[in-house]
Amino acid sequence: MTAFFRTFREGSGFDAVLILCAVAYLLVFSAFPLVYNVIMSFQSVDMFSITDFNRPWVGWQNYIDVINRPEAWLIVKNTAIFVLLSIVFQLGLGFGLALLFQQDFPAATFLRGLFLAGWIMPGLVVGTVWKWIFAGDFGVLNYVLNHLGIVTGKIFWLSDPAYSLYAVIIANIWLGIPFNMILLSVGLAAIPRDIYEAAELDGATAFQRFFSMTLPMMRATLGAVVSLGVILTLQQFDLIAGLTKGGPANSSNVAQYWSWQLSFETYEISAGSVIAVMMIAVVIVVATIYVRSTTNEQSA
Amino acid sequence: MNQIEIDDLNKHYGAYHALRDINLKIPAGSFVALIGPSGCGKSTLLRTIAGLEKFTGGTLRIAGEVMNTRPPRERDVAMVFQSYALYPHMDVERNMTYSLRLKRRPREEILERAKSAANTLGLTALLSRKPRELSGGQRQRVAMGRAIVRNPKVFLFDEPLSNLDAELRVRMRGEIRRLHERLGATSVYVTHDQIEAMTMADYVVVLRAGRIEQQGAPLDLYDRPANRFVAGFIGSPSMNFLPARVAEDGRTAILGEADGQRIDLGREVEPGREILVGMRPEHLQIRPASDATGLQATVELLESTGSMTFMEARLAGAPITVSQAGRMAAARGEPVRLQIDPENLRLFDPATEAAI
Ligand SMILES: Nc1ncnc2c1ncn2[C@@H]1O[C@H](COP(=O)(O)OP(=O)(O)OP(=O)(O)O)[C@@H](O)[C@H]1O
Ligand SMILES: [Mg+2]
Repeated sequence: MTAFFRTFREGSGFDAVLILCAVAYLLVFSAFPLVYNVIMSFQSVDMFSITDFNRPWVGWQNYIDVINRPEAWLIVKNTAIFVLLSIVFQLGLGFGLALLFQQDFPAATFLRGLFLAGWIMPGLVVGTVWKWIFAGDFGVLNYVLNHLGIVTGKIFWLSDPAYSLYAVIIANIWLGIPFNMILLSVGLAAIPRDIYEAAELDGATAFQRFFSMTLPMMRATLGAVVSLGVILTLQQFDLIAGLTKGGPANSSNVAQYWSWQLSFETYEISAGSVIAVMMIAVVIVVATIYVRSTTNEQSA
Repeated sequence: MNQIEIDDLNKHYGAYHALRDINLKIPAGSFVALIGPSGCGKSTLLRTIAGLEKFTGGTLRIAGEVMNTRPPRERDVAMVFQSYALYPHMDVERNMTYSLRLKRRPREEILERAKSAANTLGLTALLSRKPRELSGGQRQRVAMGRAIVRNPKVFLFDEPLSNLDAELRVRMRGEIRRLHERLGATSVYVTHDQIEAMTMADYVVVLRAGRIEQQGAPLDLYDRPANRFVAGFIGSPSMNFLPARVAEDGRTAILGEADGQRIDLGREVEPGREILVGMRPEHLQIRPASDATGLQATVELLESTGSMTFMEARLAGAPITVSQAGRMAAARGEPVRLQIDPENLRLFDPATEAAI
């Protein structure tokens, strides 16, 4: 017993306790739900068996079911478009803004702070605000587009299946820009100024400095931002709940929202788990590619 | 021909006046050192020549052309930064040839010039290394290589040796100087180390608080400092300054108190005038106390480096330093006589600090 207290006092025991706390937390709140979810995706789970762990094992049947649903491919396609366009524009605009605010101009810091304001708003609130902007009859977006002469007549952004997905994407891009901008600003700030000065003296134009200094030195940051962006976009839920709820007719539905609908609206819990498991697989692939690319860079 | 001509150049950082009325002409092929205490504007002046800083008044000409608003890349100057500023993601060869690749020179020429620069600087074995795989001295060489590959009109150096250890610093000093002679380009070299400035440059510019205090050949600055600041800044250890008053005869001065020791000035000065007498430590000769002539001082401390002896002493109530080749022994509090050739005295006005 005294030996136990001594290790505690000398630190090694204390280290172990700290590590155990962290491991216990991960086990209870991350590993257990994850494994439990994977198990559920191989079982037949419904409202009646949900409290009982002893449920019929159905193997891959749930997966086959989900893939064969008529809306499945539409939703996969929507998810791909949602992720791809969100990332491309969030990254592009976020990078542009990060570069802009890197310049020294009056009120630069103030304006940058203003951009952050969008980020601290909950997705549901953002969804509601954008719902007003997108409103067909009296929405401000239609008003602006009409007055600029870009379109005539009304676009029903949220209720027209041809537009609903893009409306959600536009709102999501807006929501994600500050996050991209901040991470990329940090990366840019880490590049020493004197390298740009040396390049300038070596004869590089602003354009050439961007491509031969900024971009290569931002590779790791860009990789991290893209990976995190993919993960966060696949998590985006409340914005969709606030805007279209996946409708009309699944035209703006994406995997994460579908998974929630199946699990908690129609209580097809196995099907919901299947989608969650497949999304986890995608996230793991993305994370692996990212980790690989950064370790390669360090050893190069 | 003057490679660089600066007329009445002024530079402000907001309300701060960083460079004041700078006038400087640098002949083609010369090696000019900018020297002064920290914060005096050396780097600012160098960066202004490079075009990295805009200035608020005056003209800057390089090779006769007005450069006031030209961007750095059109000035044909190369700069070696104190931090080296190597491109971390490029290997040594690509670091050195970046400028040539931007100009789309033919591949053989790029390779040729990289090889010859690497040869000159002893970097041949390191061409495919990244900067982080190099030692400080090797990085310094790459930074030099990047400059010489370009064969520019002007080389600018901002304290390039300050991150190296003492031994390497002395070696690189010689190498930079030899390189300068071989390439024949104009060099402007910023340093706060006056030994570096004196040994490397053929022209030295002393700056203080954004103003040029004096410019000239190194030995001119040493022999004929224009004011007390330059006199104290050039030379090591620093010149000693003793307050004194010129006696009625106009040829001697009384040190310290009214009844103090007399010193022969060796020339006529207005009688009764308050002056500062400047004496370089190396011009003072230590004599035994039994000598009949010379200034009477008491020893406070002796330091020896082996070849040199530095004596801290008290003369007319003021602390002074004396340096002497070889060794000597003396106890604390021991009286000595100090002798100095009147020719080696420098006189300054205590109010304006200008040389008399
Ligand atoms: N970007 C800036 N904004 C405001 N003041 C500046 C700026 N850069 C330099 N200064 C000021 O200008 C003066 C000269 O700076 P500079 O860097 O030229 O000094 P230096 O002579 O090179 O000193 P050191 O030997 O320490 O390098 C300093 O007082 C400094 O505080
Ligand atoms: Mg400096």
